[in-house]
Amino acid sequence: MKLLALLAIMAMLAAACGGSDDAASDGTSDATDTAADDGSTDDGSTDDGSADDGAADDSSTNSGLEGTLRVLIHQNPPGVEFMENFNSEFEAANPGVSIDMTVVNADDIPTVNQTRLNAKDIDVTTISVTGFANAVQPYMTGADSPYWQQLIEAGLLMDLSGQPYLANYDQAAIDGSSFDGGVYALSLGRTSYSGMFVNEDILAEVGVDIPTTWDELVSACEAVKDAGFKCAVAGGQDAWPVFVGTYGLLGSLYPDQQALVEGLWDGSVKWDDEQGIKLFERYDYYANDMLDAESAGLTGDSAAQRYAAGDVAFGPMGAWNAGAVADNAGFEWEYIPFPGSDDAADNQTLFGKDDMSFAVAADTPVPDIAHAYLAAFSEPDNYNAFANATNYLPTQPTAALESALGTSIAPILQAGNFAIGFEQLFVQPKGAGQWHNAKDGALWMYNGDFTDPAVAAEQAQADLEAGLAG
Amino acid sequence: MAASQQQHLFGGGRQRLYPWLLLFPGLGFYLLIGVGPSLATAVYSFTDATGIRGLPISWVGWDNYDEFIFRGARSRDNIDALQRTLIFMALVTIVQFGLGLVMALLVNQKLRGRLVFRTLFFVPVILGVAVQGLMWKLFLRPGGGPMHEIFSLFGLESQFLGGPNAFYWVIVVQIWANAGFTMVIFLAGMQTVPADLYEAASVDGAVGWQLFRNVTWPQLTPAVNTNFLLNIVGSLQAWMLFLVLTGYRNGTNVLGYVVYAEAFGQTSASSFRQGYAAAASIVLFLLVLALGMAANAVVARRERKYMS
Repeated sequence: MKLLALLAIMAMLAAACGGSDDAASDGTSDATDTAADDGSTDDGSTDDGSADDGAADDSSTNSGLEGTLRVLIHQNPPGVEFMENFNSEFEAANPGVSIDMTVVNADDIPTVNQTRLNAKDIDVTTISVTGFANAVQPYMTGADSPYWQQLIEAGLLMDLSGQPYLANYDQAAIDGSSFDGGVYALSLGRTSYSGMFVNEDILAEVGVDIPTTWDELVSACEAVKDAGFKCAVAGGQDAWPVFVGTYGLLGSLYPDQQALVEGLWDGSVKWDDEQGIKLFERYDYYANDMLDAESAGLTGDSAAQRYAAGDVAFGPMGAWNAGAVADNAGFEWEYIPFPGSDDAADNQTLFGKDDMSFAVAADTPVPDIAHAYLAAFSEPDNYNAFANATNYLPTQPTAALESALGTSIAPILQAGNFAIGFEQLFVQPKGAGQWHNAKDGALWMYNGDFTDPAVAAEQAQADLEAGLAG
Repeated sequence: MAASQQQHLFGGGRQRLYPWLLLFPGLGFYLLIGVGPSLATAVYSFTDATGIRGLPISWVGWDNYDEFIFRGARSRDNIDALQRTLIFMALVTIVQFGLGLVMALLVNQKLRGRLVFRTLFFVPVILGVAVQGLMWKLFLRPGGGPMHEIFSLFGLESQFLGGPNAFYWVIVVQIWANAGFTMVIFLAGMQTVPADLYEAASVDGAVGWQLFRNVTWPQLTPAVNTNFLLNIVGSLQAWMLFLVLTGYRNGTNVLGYVVYAEAFGQTSASSFRQGYAAAASIVLFLLVLALGMAANAVVARRERKYMS
């Protein structure tokens, strides 16, 4: 009898400790809005953030769809606001559907995707904010696959090939979301990280033109400093904004970024050759002469606002800062490719990346709703509103940025001078040391990790070769 | 029959199983949650596991350990991280131990406002790492932060968490965050010292330092030993403040952060390498075990000296 009583108590305890399967889906509704800088898309809004009314209605009114769609996006205030409105309209157009959206910090996207895809706890997810450019190539012997490639190879992402809404996007967006013959994501926008804002009023007052070469940039910088202005600011406190500006320097000295990646892997290009040392010398000037000391106390966001105050000539920042600049600047400005080369012809291209990309879980229980959701989102009017809300460079050919940024860079984009940058193409050799990737070189010089550009270049090459040696 | 019942506390027959049945839930839970993952980590360390459902897992033998310790410049960085972990442990243990002891001595005095100071000293302990990190990022903000202003008074400049000394600023924050806990353990120990020992020592003419050296310090042996071990183990495993304050940055990472970054795609390779990270965590475990055992030996010797 005592034994039976004991077993009954243990059974009750076990039952009490057990969890309901429902908890998995219920637990997804709390947004983990960390509001931390993600460094990639945090821009100001140039739109009211409203989803276009017609978009959701057109695709699926009275669709008969029923179920809950679990969606994951990353923190980006105008983007989140837009998606919340879009979700409401999608739910209104599909009364049987509810959207359960989670917001995470961009840095947490890999971890959250890994856990939630493993747990079959997500349907439509922001799989990446960097695109699919850095797949391991055949010549990258022994390199580890990036996480998005691991997810595709594991069969966790649905191949979207053949879905009609893909036709709304340009071919580069499709190519940038493809792997091994399949299309595994929907690239919702691009962003440029290699340009800089130019305060035209300051340059006019000082009497210099917008620089088109490195020497002109240095001369302009010295001239504005002599005139009592600051040359440039960046978000030194957050560290990463320091090297954001110099992606353009890397891009202008190595205009063919894909060739640079291959050259580094096959040894035909070295970080410590003549061009490499020139790169590091310019990093040094950028970090320690061009950037004002005030940069050390600025975050990525506050640097854009500080730049907009009007006494700084250049703002080497990502295009996502355009909203903050446009909202606060009382001066005429342009966003131009960073003039890092001595040859103006090499300073024409904006480098950047595919940014926010939606993917669908391969084993989602609601594939019809997921496709309807993406189809509604991809309606041209809705997408155009999204691009203008977030300031993403559009991936749909019919969309156009109506903002000041859009006006500024329209000639560059129309000339086809946008390219995926080194960061999105490079895959590190296994065993390479921590200094192997010279794209971060400006930050090393800024932090004082190195004081001699030649030494930094040699260390970068040595750490790269340690990995290449296998 | 009587002899049998004397041998078994819960009686004979099936009743002899009661202790085991009572033990089973707790033991099972411990095996499942504590021992199981630890053993799994050890097994994983010999595989190329990614932690991603659907990807095959292959046995790679000692390859992860070989790569972590011996291969390429990455192994040099790992050894650097290992050295940095030991420096972190040594500085945190020594300073936190000393500071906690001094704080405990101060708030153990019968002074006005001591309860307020006890609370103030302990408050950082109850803050989460994210809050601690945010506070110190603001405090150490170059160009306008309070510490910048203090440095400016002396004509000094520093980039603090963005500069080459970032690692040492994290040590400062770690000590600030945990010294209150050390203080509380010391304080609890001090309050168990019988007052008559102080009275007897005072009658013998002991004052000040002599009272501390000959009464307080020996009587604090359990608290000293506890703090010593907790500080060593805690500092060896600390890495979250690095995540919050500096991020994954060359020249600042400690071993615990390397484990996290490799496991969850936070390195520049952005791959999930949980087998490799498991090997790194086993190395960290062996380090903690070795230093913990050494510290335990010191502690045991000290207990024999003072408590026998």
